[in-house]
Amino acid sequence: MNFSLSIISTFGKMILFAWECFVLTLEGKTRWRHVVEQIYQVGVRSLGTTFTAGIFVGAIMALQMEIQLKDFGAEAFLGGLSTSTTLRNVGPVLIAFLLSGKVGAYTSAELGTMEVTEQLNAIRLLGANPVEYIILPRMWAIIISSFLLLIVGLMVTILGGVVFCEMININPLTYIQNIPRIVTAWSVGQSVVKSFLFGLIIAVVSCYKGYYARGGSVGVGIAVQSCAVTNLMLIIFTDFFISMASSFMQDLLRTGYL
Amino acid sequence: MKFSPMPFQYKFRKKETLEQMYLLGVQSVPIIVVSLGFVGLMMILELAFHMRLVLSHDALVPSFSAILMVRELGPVISCLLLTSRIGAGIAAEIGSMKITEQLDALKMLSIDPIDYLVIPRWMGSVFAAVTLTVISIAVALWGGAFLATKKLGTTPGEYFNTVFFFVKFPDVLRCLVKAAAFGTLIPVIAAYQGFHCGTGSAAVGEAATQAVVKTSLCIIIADFLLTYLFYAI
Repeated sequence: MNFSLSIISTFGKMILFAWECFVLTLEGKTRWRHVVEQIYQVGVRSLGTTFTAGIFVGAIMALQMEIQLKDFGAEAFLGGLSTSTTLRNVGPVLIAFLLSGKVGAYTSAELGTMEVTEQLNAIRLLGANPVEYIILPRMWAIIISSFLLLIVGLMVTILGGVVFCEMININPLTYIQNIPRIVTAWSVGQSVVKSFLFGLIIAVVSCYKGYYARGGSVGVGIAVQSCAVTNLMLIIFTDFFISMASSFMQDLLRTGYL
Repeated sequence: MKFSPMPFQYKFRKKETLEQMYLLGVQSVPIIVVSLGFVGLMMILELAFHMRLVLSHDALVPSFSAILMVRELGPVISCLLLTSRIGAGIAAEIGSMKITEQLDALKMLSIDPIDYLVIPRWMGSVFAAVTLTVISIAVALWGGAFLATKKLGTTPGEYFNTVFFFVKFPDVLRCLVKAAAFGTLIPVIAAYQGFHCGTGSAAVGEAATQAVVKTSLCIIIADFLLTYLFYAI
């Protein structure tokens, strides 16, 4: 009982925290120069990780699909099916896992250290709002750069599939020609929506966990760990619910209710 | 740091090993089980979409999703979750032991830090990875049976019948080998980052972050290599 209550109250606090940042943005308090600086920090720091992850995720899905489709005798659909599965769910989830490890841990550790060394209190003492000065630029930077990194990562997964085809002597042209037959605009739209929501989750959770870190360097460690776990679980839940909503909408479209 | 020449010379410390099995394994159960349950539901949804598009019927969805789950996503996703749950903790623990000179104290008592700290964590982590993978795949298949019954109109008996027809025993063995390999990667990389962290509490945080990132990348790369080794050669 206590456990589920604490989950619900943490979730509520997170939403209130995000709402506060949103209201501050609407009031025009965002410092876009700082946002650009932070985008550079976050983006450049994580580009290598995203690339490696993208290449290998694409290759893994192509390999796995190749083996499975061979069993079912549907190898003609290899390019389309593996790309579509990667773009629609496996790719965003796995790349977002890596990004949450990289960006989330870094941000929550940095903000947590600021909090426990009372740098945020110093800002409050100067009569300024730390959410406005420290959190808001980071939040927007993580949302924007995670979104862009996820899109780049998803593009790289296609490249990973092609590299894999070169490895096991499948004609890459056949592989690529197959992609537009199965990957529809709807699938691409779904993966873009997922990427945006995952960026939002990583930003809100890691800023929240860092901002509310308490209790010295041990507290920072706990914040980093709970940030990673919360990120991953929320990413998986969101992934499921977006897939469900998308499938529901498609059913409505097909039956003509919409 | 002096390394023992043979891995078999390490002592088996029952108390520490059991403690780590509890800390790393049992305490991670709720997170991983709930998440993998949702992954199982999601795979049914997505594959139903793809199979309708390609084959225009969805009789192959249960077997296809179960094979994908057992061979690929089960071990990878549960071990990535396990990494974020325990990898940072191991690195931070050993790193803070290093900067507070507890490792030197251990060496003064002529206790090998690898023997005392890494081996129990390694055993606990392999135990956790293997058992959690089995549990989470079971939960994912169960969730898949639920959704397939609701959405595709198969009966649960039909679902498990096709699943057990297509998922062979070697698949399960290879899945366990994968899980054990990922479970080995987690404490080894995390302990390496902890042993080699710099001075100061900021370095401990950096070591924890690096541990999670490097382990996750290594798990994905190792998954590709192992799948290639098991199925493509």
